[in-house]
Amino acid sequence: MFNFPKGLYCDIRIEHTDSASYYVQNSEVMQNSETSVAGAMIRVYDGRLWYTSVTNDLQAVQDELDNLASVAQPDDNIENNPVVKMFEVHKDTVLKFEGDNDLRKTTREMREDLVKRCIDACDCDSFDEIKQWGASCSYEHKIKEFYSSKGAEIKQDMQQCFVHMFFDIVIDGITTTGSHAITGFDFDSVKGREDEIVKKRDRFLDYAKNAVDVTPGEYVCVLAPEVTGMFTHESFGHKSEADFMLNDKTLRDEWEMGKKVGSELVSICDSASAYGVTHRGDIAYDDEGTKPKETWLIKNGVLTGRLHDANSAAALGEELTGNARAQDFGFAPMVRMTNTYMLPGDRTPEEIISEVKDGIYIFGVIYGTGQSTFTLKPSCCYRITDGKLDTPVRVNVVNGSVFQTLFDIDAIGNDITFCDTGTCGKNGQAMPVSDAGPTIRVRKLTVN
Amino acid sequence: MEREKISSHYTFCEVQIEESKIKAFNKDSRTNNSFRVYDGEYAGIQYIQGGNDDEAGFKKAADNLSIKRPYKFTLETGRRSRDKTERDYTDGDVMDIAKQSVEYLTSHYPDFKFSGSINSHKRNITMKNTLGLDYSNTDCQLSISITYKHKDSKDLDDGYFSIGQRDFDFKKFTDMADNHLQGFENLAELPDELIIQQQYYEYLSKLSESLNAEDLALDTSLLTGKVGEKVFADGFTLSHDVSDKETWFTPFFDGEGVVQEGDKRVYIENGVLLSGYADKRTAAKYSQPHTGSAGFNLNDVPYNGYLNLRIARSDKKVRELLDNRLTVVPILAAGGGYNEKGDYVTPVQKAFLCDGERFIGRLPEFAIKGNMFDIFGSGFIGVGSDNPVFNDKQILMKMDYSK
Repeated sequence: MFNFPKGLYCDIRIEHTDSASYYVQNSEVMQNSETSVAGAMIRVYDGRLWYTSVTNDLQAVQDELDNLASVAQPDDNIENNPVVKMFEVHKDTVLKFEGDNDLRKTTREMREDLVKRCIDACDCDSFDEIKQWGASCSYEHKIKEFYSSKGAEIKQDMQQCFVHMFFDIVIDGITTTGSHAITGFDFDSVKGREDEIVKKRDRFLDYAKNAVDVTPGEYVCVLAPEVTGMFTHESFGHKSEADFMLNDKTLRDEWEMGKKVGSELVSICDSASAYGVTHRGDIAYDDEGTKPKETWLIKNGVLTGRLHDANSAAALGEELTGNARAQDFGFAPMVRMTNTYMLPGDRTPEEIISEVKDGIYIFGVIYGTGQSTFTLKPSCCYRITDGKLDTPVRVNVVNGSVFQTLFDIDAIGNDITFCDTGTCGKNGQAMPVSDAGPTIRVRKLTVN
Repeated sequence: MEREKISSHYTFCEVQIEESKIKAFNKDSRTNNSFRVYDGEYAGIQYIQGGNDDEAGFKKAADNLSIKRPYKFTLETGRRSRDKTERDYTDGDVMDIAKQSVEYLTSHYPDFKFSGSINSHKRNITMKNTLGLDYSNTDCQLSISITYKHKDSKDLDDGYFSIGQRDFDFKKFTDMADNHLQGFENLAELPDELIIQQQYYEYLSKLSESLNAEDLALDTSLLTGKVGEKVFADGFTLSHDVSDKETWFTPFFDGEGVVQEGDKRVYIENGVLLSGYADKRTAAKYSQPHTGSAGFNLNDVPYNGYLNLRIARSDKKVRELLDNRLTVVPILAAGGGYNEKGDYVTPVQKAFLCDGERFIGRLPEFAIKGNMFDIFGSGFIGVGSDNPVFNDKQILMKMDYSK
């Protein structure tokens, strides 16, 4: 298919993306679009440098490959380069969304009808406090092809459908924005779920009317499953990405396998096919052509694994895990999570809350960050008083130390829930991921 | 029936640094087009990427009139071409600057590891229509972004600096690197009075949200009902400004082809709120002033939101504004932000104590807090006339510590 130059490792990633969006705001249609995009990233490696080129002209791929090859320095022994030796060679086609479940077969009318049902169910205009609202239905369908000079030929697809609604609730001049997102991997799975949005509307109406400012300080925190998922991703997930420690002795010593890094209650896994159900971070192959593995990062509080691309696996002398991922054809792959989850325990959420005399229950989260200090920006919190959920409280940010917080987890619930709306940012790339976890209790987090 | 086309073309060349070594040489070149057809009632719009056949693009756009996307506004006319390019960078230029930068960093600061990017980025956007509109805006920048980590640090990274210039000056890059990496060696203590010195884009996020004329009209903005009132400090003047030579890649026209007089629009003058921002739809729907604020939506009708907000500079330099006081310069601060009341809190993981120009030493972790009305009100000191520390505009403002 392509003429790969000798003495160089080369790979080509071609992507075709179809998407559509229908968005209504205060009864006015703000977006009604269907878009198709295609493009390719061409990479050449001569054992010293990577040379990459991005184009959205698919007729130019061979020319781009030849141009890159002309500035690289061929190496007759390139196949024995430690990184090149790591690359797997698969010939496979994994197209899961080509039948009736193909979102490209949905029509504008289908999206409009779904949005109308959500708007009708929510009936926002009958609430004086809701000054602005919006409802949308969108999808993205992507087919990725991967070809390498070692002989890999892979074709895989992924798609996801989103229904989203937000409501701006104004009480005493303060606007509280509540929202709810429904996601699925075919159109049928997002239909008929308007009641979820109505429940969220009511929760945020109550929150907007009754929330009081939290007194900043350190609190026992109970995290709802959705929050635990992001906590898992931010508090530890990023530290499992091996590309940050390649030749750094301090960090390699700090994150040595077998080291105790958390409470023995804590086990964390990254899997591109978690629990046998489709999730947002699923991939059949990563963007270097590697078949992903289930990687246990922490088992019972002990560090047991980390995530790799070919470069980090070669540098650390470890096995590939299939975590080389790129946002789209415009970016080179790097080490990223897929679906990262904390294993559930055997406690009920009610039991966990009942043991807290004074604390904060974090019901929802907007985003998080993960340096040595990880942060969570909650959307909705409640005070816990004498073992029961009490008044809603406004919390701006919750943070803790990566090195300490996993040790402070003292209860884990049995209610694991996946969140399939996540997008992780790293080095300028936004990556679809899933995260999951059960209700957990942390002895101490800083709340502002 | 009128036709309009927006076309954006950019080229990008990057040398990527990983663990203090050149790892990759990356190139990117893409073209994106939006074809628009107007029949007086509706707009038919088609986005097409790459090189294209204009007639095919306009035909698809005409077919999309059937979707009935309302657009009844008068199209713009006018001819203008602006090219801010001061220097075109070849691939070889970018590689040479990368090698020079890595050599400087590794030879002067062997106890640190560096990663990041040296890149040149050129972007041209044109907008033309059958009424005679013919606008073109071109800009080119070379930028260096470096993340550094001390060899003994257990953190993923210890700091970050970046510099963007049209005509690259290596001395400015080394001055910035020296300030960070020499300042890192010293430990400092938090001052009693917290004066933040920082590029101000993050802090303007709630204000730009609050200035949306639609939110003002719907009572969902913190500034609702305050048009004509003095809301912020005397010295606080805020404009959409695409005339500024320190502004990168911002076309002088908006997504509807509207140009502001002097390429500026003042929203807050000496603390007084003058108006919100509105594209043609928002202005018409809510009887607000039209401010040329349409975003470049290539696959549908424009949305309200083309803003390049700039705080007017003081005529005093940063050191003069400080009058011998010290500042705190956050380097890595993320995870918090504004809440619905305009209260701002964020943990600051890496920061320096500074005399306004030079870093004195690195500070322990802390959190900053303030309220939007205080940050740009009683706490606002000013934006200096010079660009120490960041090679960019920077705000000086009083904030509070948080636990």
